Amino acid sequence: MTDQPLALEMLNIVKTFPGVRALDDVSFGCARGEVHALCGENGAGKSTLIKVLGGIYPPDAGRIRLDGRDVSFSHPVAARRAGISIIHQELSLLPYRTVAENIYLGLEPSRFGALDRRKMRTDSARLLDRLGSAIAPDVAAGDLSIAHQQIVEIAKALALDAKILVMDEPTAALDGADASRLLDLVRRVSRQGVTIVYISHHLSEIQAVADRVTVLKDGRTVLTAPLAEAPTGRLVRAMVGRDLSDFYPPRSTVAPGSPTLVIRGGTNGRLRGVDLAVRAGEIVGVAGLEGSGKSALGRAIAGDEPFESGTMEIAGKVVAFSNPRSALEAGLGRVAEDRKRESLLMQQSVRDNAALSQRAFANLLRSPNAAPMSTAATDERLKQVDVRAANFDQEIRQLSGGNQQRVIIARLLALDPQVLVFSEPTRGVDVAAKAAIYRIMRDLAGRGRGILMISSDLPEIVGVSDRIVVMREGGVAGELPGGAGEEDVMALAVGHDDRAPQMRAQ
Amino acid sequence: MTVVLDDSKHASPAAAFARQINFAVVVLVVLYGAVGLLQPSYLEPAGAMNFLRRAAPLAILASGQVFVLVSGGFDLSVGSLVTITVIGGSMLTANDPSKTWWAIGVLYAIGLVVGLINGAIVAYLKTPSFIATLGTLLSVNGAAMMWCGGAPRGYLPDNFRMFGRFMFHDVPVVKVFPLAVLVLAAVAALAWWGLHGTVFGRRVFAVGDNPRAARLAGVKVETVRLGAFVISALSAVTAGVMLGGFGGVSVDVGLGLELQAIAACVVGGVQLMGGRGTVVGAVAGALTLTALFTLLTLLGLPQPLKETAQGLILIAAVAFGAWRRRRVG
Amino acid sequence: MSDAGALPSPSVGRFGLAAPLLLFVGSVALYVGVALWTGQTKMLEAEGVVGLLQRMVALGIVAIGQTFAILAGSIDLSVANLISVGAVLASYVMQGRPEMMLPAVALVIIVSAAVGVLNGALIAWLQVNAFIATLGVGLILQGLLSASFTNFAGSVPKEFQALAYGGWGGAPFSVIGLFVLAALASVVLGATKFGAHLYAVGGNVEGARLAGIRTDFVTIGAHVACSLTAGVTGLYLASRLRSGAPWVGRDGVYDLESIAVVVIGGTLLAGGRGGVWGTLAGVLLFASLDAAFNMLGVSAYPKLVLRGAIVVAAVAVYAVRSRDLVA
Repeated sequence: MTDQPLALEMLNIVKTFPGVRALDDVSFGCARGEVHALCGENGAGKSTLIKVLGGIYPPDAGRIRLDGRDVSFSHPVAARRAGISIIHQELSLLPYRTVAENIYLGLEPSRFGALDRRKMRTDSARLLDRLGSAIAPDVAAGDLSIAHQQIVEIAKALALDAKILVMDEPTAALDGADASRLLDLVRRVSRQGVTIVYISHHLSEIQAVADRVTVLKDGRTVLTAPLAEAPTGRLVRAMVGRDLSDFYPPRSTVAPGSPTLVIRGGTNGRLRGVDLAVRAGEIVGVAGLEGSGKSALGRAIAGDEPFESGTMEIAGKVVAFSNPRSALEAGLGRVAEDRKRESLLMQQSVRDNAALSQRAFANLLRSPNAAPMSTAATDERLKQVDVRAANFDQEIRQLSGGNQQRVIIARLLALDPQVLVFSEPTRGVDVAAKAAIYRIMRDLAGRGRGILMISSDLPEIVGVSDRIVVMREGGVAGELPGGAGEEDVMALAVGHDDRAPQMRAQ
Repeated sequence: MTVVLDDSKHASPAAAFARQINFAVVVLVVLYGAVGLLQPSYLEPAGAMNFLRRAAPLAILASGQVFVLVSGGFDLSVGSLVTITVIGGSMLTANDPSKTWWAIGVLYAIGLVVGLINGAIVAYLKTPSFIATLGTLLSVNGAAMMWCGGAPRGYLPDNFRMFGRFMFHDVPVVKVFPLAVLVLAAVAALAWWGLHGTVFGRRVFAVGDNPRAARLAGVKVETVRLGAFVISALSAVTAGVMLGGFGGVSVDVGLGLELQAIAACVVGGVQLMGGRGTVVGAVAGALTLTALFTLLTLLGLPQPLKETAQGLILIAAVAFGAWRRRRVG
Repeated sequence: MSDAGALPSPSVGRFGLAAPLLLFVGSVALYVGVALWTGQTKMLEAEGVVGLLQRMVALGIVAIGQTFAILAGSIDLSVANLISVGAVLASYVMQGRPEMMLPAVALVIIVSAAVGVLNGALIAWLQVNAFIATLGVGLILQGLLSASFTNFAGSVPKEFQALAYGGWGGAPFSVIGLFVLAALASVVLGATKFGAHLYAVGGNVEGARLAGIRTDFVTIGAHVACSLTAGVTGLYLASRLRSGAPWVGRDGVYDLESIAVVVIGGTLLAGGRGGVWGTLAGVLLFASLDAAFNMLGVSAYPKLVLRGAIVVAAVAVYAVRSRDLVA
């Protein structure tokens, strides 16, 4: 293992997008057959790094080397041909096609154009057997459980003769038993000589399966070490510790008022029995890992994918929302987590975006610039949240993420809601805008609003919230007071992991 | 993830709009100039007024279609609505001028119902507007045939036909001013106000730009779609009344008009994906198309080849739009 | 980040796969039921049934092609006009002479294939919306055709009429041909590499591209298949009407109806799932409905009105279950 060139090396990778430097001189390397864990918080740069590796983005600078040879990919297909296979969180199987058809997509064995189905079947069975799985090749892929679908994805990668397999949060949708079976599989595949880059939040899994670990933070490599030198504590500190520039506004010193939002037993497809309260004047942070249900919680409260049972009260009045409009009418508004898909009208102007909700409720035939939505009033609101733009007539797509987010906040504030839910409020937002958004939230709380902040950004949760609710597997795992340590939040989020004992037995 | 590298860019949507609308107007001027070369009477006020009169139905259709296009859909039923307006007009009035206003009222009611049906199918039955309005096209055409028993009566009373034919005389500057042009101006102004001057219009843009974001922001997306299709249907009835004045009553009067209306909008810069477009552009596009057809007729192109020209223009306009979006986006 | 994506469960497909069977049973029940109710039991004899099957041929052939287009995630609205072109071209070139049959058929095939390539290229390379591209091409074809022909053109020799009128042991050639074509199409879809790629492109075009599939060629291939069937339908109609006229395609509403039967038959409008047997079951349903209307004495024009409603209902039944905000 000493003189052999590394199976994969990414050296000094730089990748910049307008407004952010996503990767700043990132380097790491893996030997053949190694399981290399990649961790970091949301926004640390993991997914950008993987996209560069997969040929989706070309790096602005830096090199990629496979088995000692420099390579560059103009297209994802080129990366695949070079032996790099990525299994994304959103599985890409064709649900209506069989397992065998999915595994051999694009590589179908054929004679003069006629499919050799027998060969496809036997070869698939052989691959699945290599993975220790008994999945039948003739089953429709969409009929399989998620755990089995992932196995098919791995088989697909092996069919391509992948030398490097990247797995992005593979256990996010799996329960304990399936997750540990997947980890067994990962080890098995790596023993067959495939190099695995394993991205995960679940530090216990990393402890169980990785040979080496790299931690990214703010687009930089902050730690690369063999597992023995990186116990959980050190990993957490590396992921989380930073120059604590205190750009978090001071927490509230005034006691919070009466509850503005109360949820009891909130349940739907993804949530079970959530109990939550937000009082006037406080910011409640909601933390949790992938699949904990925190995003679903935001959607349920705001009426997007509503609760199916349980009760919700706003300022003491029982409410039930079947759609987002009724939530807004009742004084509850949400800033959604995926701006591009769920909030922004990309081709419309900044002003039009800011006035959208007002115009949703105003009288049909009124001028769009009538009194509460006047250009002056809208501009004033935009300035209050500190939106920077050359002029407010320009298309919102030209603004930076931070500015876009503030326009959305202005849109919501125009309705003067009593309760505000922020889902991932600073995702894709630069530092200055982050600070501004925290200020806005604290200011709103100070004026008696109830704020629920759902976030994957631990420092933000810990720095801003007056109270922290930690979710796990669809329910509330526990509560912590504001100012709790990030490790405490992590611990509750990871929880009494029943996977852990099985792993230690290995 | 923290270095801010650049600031918001400076181009305003007004500049982009100007670039786009200039294109349609430029083409219109060039085409009209060519028309004028071949037939100098078009350059005189009376000739220009006549041109506007003949362009009016298409421009009115385009002014309605633009609402549906901006909301992200297509209304393919407008041609059949024109047909049923003309046929229904002749059946209802039975050549009795005193019945004209009542008949027009009924025809607008029919348009309203068809528009609501279109909108409901798209909004509540989640059916793509292409299929929904193609189905309505079939049914309305069939209903028109049923109404006249397959033999359309050739007459419409004169006061019905005046919307297409009447001219004000002794008007300063232009000498003759067709009523049709007045109707066009009124409809265009109304459409302009509706799309650009009301809250409803902004909702239409929002729904076309990002229906999910619009819904999450509190917009009643279904109502917006219903409104857009109703507006389109009502404009079709208006165009039908006008076309009834132009020629005889036939089952072909509305044939292909829906595609012409869409082509007019696309030429005028309306985006097929929704979220972008102007009434001015739609009208300019309609005038441009009319100028093109006039030119082709003057050059001796037989009538059926107009369809071919339409198809080519439609494809070219959409391909051009797709190319521009790829360059910019 | 939202919870990890799960694939839509195709156990809904259980119902979908049973659609052809359900449609078949339903159509038969409808036909038999109305025949009995109106006392027209003659329709239940061999002649009546054969007549029903013959009614399926024209729409059936083109619908098989439309299945390819829709499976690939596209759509073809030019088929009605291409059918007219095929019919007119065939009868014009033949001019009633048997020796011109082969050249005429060859010409129609070539022209159809060319139109298919054009459609596919516009959609895949120029990125023109499939609706607009095929609608536009249809317009172009119709215009060119109407400019050259205003009435029935030429005629078809008796030998060629055998296509529509001849038979073998009681079964008309046309019906046999339809089922042979369906079997062939089914084999292509299920047992060839092209078929597998077709489903992939319709199911997830990005995934297909990432897998190295040349998605543009697949799209073009699907459209060529569709246009070829339109051409064949034109040939059949020329044979049946003994001549071709520029309005045969439009009159039959083959564009909308072919889409409707494909969707009724269980093929997803978005592509990726479905097949030709479902489409044929949909064609049977339409033929049965038509026969039922005739038996009930519904006249031509109300039928037109109902057609539109049925088409929309057919698509809506499947579409209404989607959660997306459709435009």
